[in-house]
Amino acid sequence: MKPVILNIWSFLVRLTARFPSIGSIAPFIPIVAAWWIVTELQIFPRVFLPGPGDVVRSFGLLVYTGVLPEYLQDSMVRLAVGAFWGIALGIPLGILVGLSQRAHTALWPLLLFFQAIGDIAWLPILVIWFGYGLVTMTVVIVYTVIFPVVLNTVLGVRSIPITMERAARSLGCSRTRMLWEVVLPGALPNIVTGLRNGLGYGWRALIATEIIVGTSGIGFLMFDARRAGSVVEILLGMIILGILWYIVDSWILAPIERATGQRWGLVTR
Amino acid sequence: MKNLTIRNLSKTYFDPYAGTNVTAVHDVSLNVEQGEFVCIVGPSGCGKTTILNMIAGFLPHTGGDILVGGRPVNGPGPDRGVVFQSFALFPWKTVLENVAFGPKMRGVGKAEREKIAHEYLALAKLTEAAGRYPAELSGGMQQRVGVVRALANEPDVLLMDEPFASVDAQTRMTLQEELTRIWQEKRPTVIFITHDVAEAVFLANRVVALSKGRVLEEIDVDLPRPRSWDALNDDPQFKELTGRVLQLVRSA
Ligand SMILES: Nc1ncnc2c1ncn2[C@@H]1O[C@H](COP(=O)(O)OP(=O)(O)OP(=O)(O)O)[C@@H](O)[C@H]1O
Ligand SMILES: [Mg+2]
Repeated sequence: MKPVILNIWSFLVRLTARFPSIGSIAPFIPIVAAWWIVTELQIFPRVFLPGPGDVVRSFGLLVYTGVLPEYLQDSMVRLAVGAFWGIALGIPLGILVGLSQRAHTALWPLLLFFQAIGDIAWLPILVIWFGYGLVTMTVVIVYTVIFPVVLNTVLGVRSIPITMERAARSLGCSRTRMLWEVVLPGALPNIVTGLRNGLGYGWRALIATEIIVGTSGIGFLMFDARRAGSVVEILLGMIILGILWYIVDSWILAPIERATGQRWGLVTR
Repeated sequence: MKNLTIRNLSKTYFDPYAGTNVTAVHDVSLNVEQGEFVCIVGPSGCGKTTILNMIAGFLPHTGGDILVGGRPVNGPGPDRGVVFQSFALFPWKTVLENVAFGPKMRGVGKAEREKIAHEYLALAKLTEAAGRYPAELSGGMQQRVGVVRALANEPDVLLMDEPFASVDAQTRMTLQEELTRIWQEKRPTVIFITHDVAEAVFLANRVVALSKGRVLEEIDVDLPRPRSWDALNDDPQFKELTGRVLQLVRSA
């Protein structure tokens, strides 16, 4: 018995070394296997807990009818819009608060206050103001993305050693050029972390908002499926959420982090 | 490059917790001619960093004058290059970009400033490291980059605050020898701060002994150049000078 397990283990190790992408899939294999076994044993009725095969079939059907690609695109576009405004507003605001003691005194309490109100706590009033639709969803996601970006940018700006600024000034760098040459790159590792957190929270807030006020998107897909009593589609939605985030994080955010803070030795691995 | 004049310089720190004033520098006067290499030596806490930071323009002084080429110092500027104990290289720039930073700020074009940077890197035997990031270098290499980054900007005065204090003893000796060689080649005006008496005598034309924020004495060092540790270790004149400075610094 033991040598067999060892053999399988060493086979898996060699396999993941050869194909690194298998390494990221491997952890899910036991979970899917367990899920499959539970459904095959018919412990719960099929309508309550469909198996992996049912979900794959449902995926094929929704892709075929065009519903899923459309909803997927809607959700992704909303995330991208949220990310864009979160960056465009959050980074300059964070740099201002990080650099200017006066701005810090004036804005920091406000930032903490509004951060505490948090994404979907705004929904009731936003629905009254803007109704069910895109504006409401955009406000919620921008709101959610922006705080982690601002707070981490402030932290990043404030953690730049004073010697960096002194060195730049002694080499003839003006205060305005300092922004681009020292402040922004010095704070960048923290900014990326803020963005990573912000998008993570924003993604969740977006799905929640789609469930509550949406007319399309992955969140809406899941809510609609609940109305129709289709557990398969709910499960499908949940799986898509996980996969999508995994892709955004490991294909976009993690490489940026590796190319900046880690390369520069500012972040220890 | 121009001369540096310090007249009756003083600095009083206010300690907001104790509510008291601490005078770190009393009435220091010093004249450094163009092309001179002056070492300020003294025990920990005697005000060396305070003096250097005031010359660099990082700290306001509370009395006296600091003049570079006759013009009073007001804040940091490219006329006074600084080499930091903690290197203070820009981690997000390659070695080449770090050294080219001063010329870039002066508005020198990319090709031209990279040529300048390459020339200075060659001077410090760093040609190989040009494309690497500071985090990928040893401490000794990082500080060589720190020195040539300041030099490449051709400041009137080069200010160095214990630049070799955080590298090991062997590397430090190599760096000291290299610094004297580079100084002979480029002849910058240097103010070098250290608590290491042998280092001060090895490098300087003139050693200024400092204690408790006051200048005790200035000692001329006319050892022949180029200087090397192999030659000076058993040199009687070197021994005599270090002995004298050491006694001065310790007696106060
Ligand atoms: N920001 C400050 N506020 C109050 N006192 C200070 C401050 N900085 C330095 N001092 C005091 O001024 C004196 C001189 O300090 P300084 O850092 O110039 O010494 P130093 O000669 O560079 O010493 P070291 O060799 O340890 O670096 C010390 O007594 C120190 O406590
Ligand atoms: Mg000091």
